[in-house]
Amino acid sequence: MTSLELIFYIFSSILLLSSLGVVLFKNPVYSALSLISCFITSAFLWLLLEAEFLALVLVLVYVGAVMVLFLFVIMMLNIELEVETSQFNKIAPLGLIVGLIIVGELMTLIWLRSDQFLVTSSAVSSFDKEVSNSVLLGTKLFTDYIYAFEISGFILLLAIIVSISLTLRRRKGLKRQIVSKQVDIDPATRVKLVDMESEVNK
Amino acid sequence: MITLQSYLTLAALLFAIGAMGIIINKKNIIIVMMSIELMLLAVNFNFIAFSYFSNDLTGQIFVFFMLAIAAAEAAIGLAILVTLYRNKNTISVREFKQLKE
Repeated sequence: MTSLELIFYIFSSILLLSSLGVVLFKNPVYSALSLISCFITSAFLWLLLEAEFLALVLVLVYVGAVMVLFLFVIMMLNIELEVETSQFNKIAPLGLIVGLIIVGELMTLIWLRSDQFLVTSSAVSSFDKEVSNSVLLGTKLFTDYIYAFEISGFILLLAIIVSISLTLRRRKGLKRQIVSKQVDIDPATRVKLVDMESEVNK
Repeated sequence: MITLQSYLTLAALLFAIGAMGIIINKKNIIIVMMSIELMLLAVNFNFIAFSYFSNDLTGQIFVFFMLAIAAAEAAIGLAILVTLYRNKNTISVREFKQLKE
């Protein structure tokens, strides 16, 4: 067994165990933390597949942004943990059956039909070793896929607008600044000059 | 030798665990969303494995776009979740049935 295989098996077992943790933990904070562990081990496995840029993006975007957002929402909602487990046990066998069916079908496809794959299953990669992975990706992204790139930027803008407009809340009775009324003020109605005697030499 | 089949098997197991998570977690819609992220990760795994074994970078480009779209999906989903929690004061999947009634 070579060291690469050892790394692969160690990281894939960590990945599967922590993905089970995501599904089975009762406390959503623990689930989110095991999902973070999933993403980090996947990034290591993607490094084995020579997808260096995407591995780093996975850590930066998912662990750094999306999972922090998840944890933020979990903490903000302040959910009380329910202890009743009867419903969980009633549905669990169904979930197990569905999972086993999916695994069975995909295993049949992967192992029994693998002679019909159009790719060789044990090829040593021959990506261009002279330039880095991000240069290769960027060259392809900004030439062949430039329209898709622009559209994905637009979708991210859309996500910003949608999430802000969904969560924005105007409380009743809040004292807010109304600029038009402020500009509309006439100074004569505001300042009143009063005649009175001097207080000094009294 | 790590073959394409080993990566595809890993991704299949990951996908099945994610699908199981959607079914068995009826209490907490946040865990359902995390299971969806898990299934997306499995699909990305397939794309990257095929890209490596067929020497074609297009698979990695697709994963790049899927990461962007999944980030947008998570943000919008969590915003909807926050709005639902404000209105119904719960995040259990079973309580969200006003469209059925």
